[in-house]
Amino acid sequence: MKKFLALLLTLALALSLAACGGGNSGGGSTGTGDAAPSGGDSSNAGGDSGGKTYKVAMICDSSISDGGWGMACYNAMMDAAEKYGWETAVSDSIAQSAYYDNIVSFCDLGYDLIYAPGNQYTDAILQAAEEYPDIAFALLNGGADTPDKAANKNVTSLLPDSQQVGWIAGILAGLMTETGKVAFIGGMEIDTTKGKYAGFVESAEYIGQQEGKTVEALDIVYSGDFSASDKGIEFAKAMMDQGADVFFGDASAVDSGARQAIDEANAASGSVKVYDIAQPGDFLGQNECIIGSQVTDNSGLVGLCMEAVEAGTFGGETIYGTMQNGVLSVGKLSDLVPSEVQDKYNSYIDQVMDGTFMQ
Amino acid sequence: MDASFISNLILASVRMATPLIFLSLAELYSQRAGLVHIGLEGLAAIGSLSGFMVSLITGSPLLGVAAGAAVGILVNMIYAYATVNLCAEQIVYGMAVNIFAPALAAFIYRVYFGAGSELVQVGLMTTLSGLLGITSDNFLVRLLLDQTPMVYLAYGLVIFTAVYFNKTRSGLNFKAVGEYPKAAATLGINVVGVKYAASVICGALAGIGGAYLTTCYSTTYTDGNVAGRGFIALAAVIFGRWSAGGVLLACLFFGFCDALQIRLQVGSYGIPYQFFQMIPYIATVAVLAVIGAKKAGPKGVGKPYLREER
Repeated sequence: MKKFLALLLTLALALSLAACGGGNSGGGSTGTGDAAPSGGDSSNAGGDSGGKTYKVAMICDSSISDGGWGMACYNAMMDAAEKYGWETAVSDSIAQSAYYDNIVSFCDLGYDLIYAPGNQYTDAILQAAEEYPDIAFALLNGGADTPDKAANKNVTSLLPDSQQVGWIAGILAGLMTETGKVAFIGGMEIDTTKGKYAGFVESAEYIGQQEGKTVEALDIVYSGDFSASDKGIEFAKAMMDQGADVFFGDASAVDSGARQAIDEANAASGSVKVYDIAQPGDFLGQNECIIGSQVTDNSGLVGLCMEAVEAGTFGGETIYGTMQNGVLSVGKLSDLVPSEVQDKYNSYIDQVMDGTFMQ
Repeated sequence: MDASFISNLILASVRMATPLIFLSLAELYSQRAGLVHIGLEGLAAIGSLSGFMVSLITGSPLLGVAAGAAVGILVNMIYAYATVNLCAEQIVYGMAVNIFAPALAAFIYRVYFGAGSELVQVGLMTTLSGLLGITSDNFLVRLLLDQTPMVYLAYGLVIFTAVYFNKTRSGLNFKAVGEYPKAAATLGINVVGVKYAASVICGALAGIGGAYLTTCYSTTYTDGNVAGRGFIALAAVIFGRWSAGGVLLACLFFGFCDALQIRLQVGSYGIPYQFFQMIPYIATVAVLAVIGAKKAGPKGVGKPYLREER
């Protein structure tokens, strides 16, 4: 009897896991509709194309409700899927060790396009791409040379220009800093994060020179993961102790923690003197300290992949996202940014657009 | 390294150690009754979400903490029934809780808030200085008064636990169950009852530890926000040699190491950040080497209790 009960309990737990989307180190999956790996679920976004209903699946190591990167990338996929009538699925908060397993599970379920928003998925994507030659793999922030490494030419890199991303934030940081110290919080040490940091630093320092003040960036720090909002709180407190008064980041929920600490510091001082610049969506209003956002239209990039899959021309290329082709843009600015500073900011952004910035 | 650096480091250490204290005490009570529980991570995750949601709905972080405790108890009853009544392997069920509970939390969050929803934020519990209307930059005032009631509860529980396990008959009976349950049973101690009581306390404290993260520390909930604290708490109990005072010191030590690596990263001046991230782990190895491998834990921990077995 006891053995039976133990088996029953184990079965109940296992079924709960299947229902709740676990099995991937605490990962969760969402949507509605068909089954998906690790309990991940899918949503039928609409119709089909030429009699075939296409399906796209996203994997993500951060949560899609993180108020930052994960959320923006998920919404980008949903927007593109709605436009093109694709079914969707997502598996989020997955551990690094589960990247490959989740990708392969979606492949086995017949998904046409696997969408992996991050450079950190490169190895898992390349391995799966070799084993599943008929499936398309879109790697957001993938390397420029990654598609060439895929023997089956079924990998496409979507590459928003990380230097321009950094510039968009760095210009605003350089204009707004009063202490002359700006800060950047990274999640993991990946090429795109380093690129954004480099762009952020060079543009902030350049703007400082243009405006007759000295601007320096604190060394980049890494939280080591994208979920630990408490690390963001502690990093922000430590960086404010060092004098930083404008923040930018590339660390998902960690950025949310940083904004909380900044808001608390501002509340304690009685005025908003420390600012944050958000990315990759327009998050103005989410926190009081956010003065602007760098916006990346990932839905356009994902949509291009969907078009290519439907046309049978997918793979083997790198699609760049820049301000010039409309993938990168500037979000709304807060009233905390004085109108004359807004004018200066817009003129510098115009320079980025016409290719004369820092020339 | 100036006085401001040190004082801020100490304040950060206290902040980071508090959830560890709740989780470590949860493990201590469980192990003292002979139940090794590696599922604290899962209990804290579900406690974190429960605290967040109830705090959001009611507007009361205190009710959020209570909800975290209640849900922690509820989930831990699965573990208790399987390991106490069915004598199932404790490690296996602890791991099952670790996988099941965070997945359940993620599922509930997604159903309630929707996928890709806007970031939801809640108000945090007011600090004692806030309640008293005291604002000061003085280090001692910030250390002693600028804390939420949960911090005082954590340290109060450490004192209570130390007294309970060493100075009360009930506490000694409790420990006897973890040492040699058959002998305890011959003395008339209700072994199964004590193990269930331990599971209730463990579930409540682990749930509170998780709820602390979303009612006193961070205004948001994200999947994975417990971030390995359940496992660190497990190590803290071993470091602390299964005593309340030792556990407190171990938690403060881990909190200090983590706070230190963050503060040093910020002022690294070119030193690779990986060097600082190694600090907590190097410190762990060093302390383990110093305190040695001498077993000080309950003798009956991890072993199923079968009353009829000879």
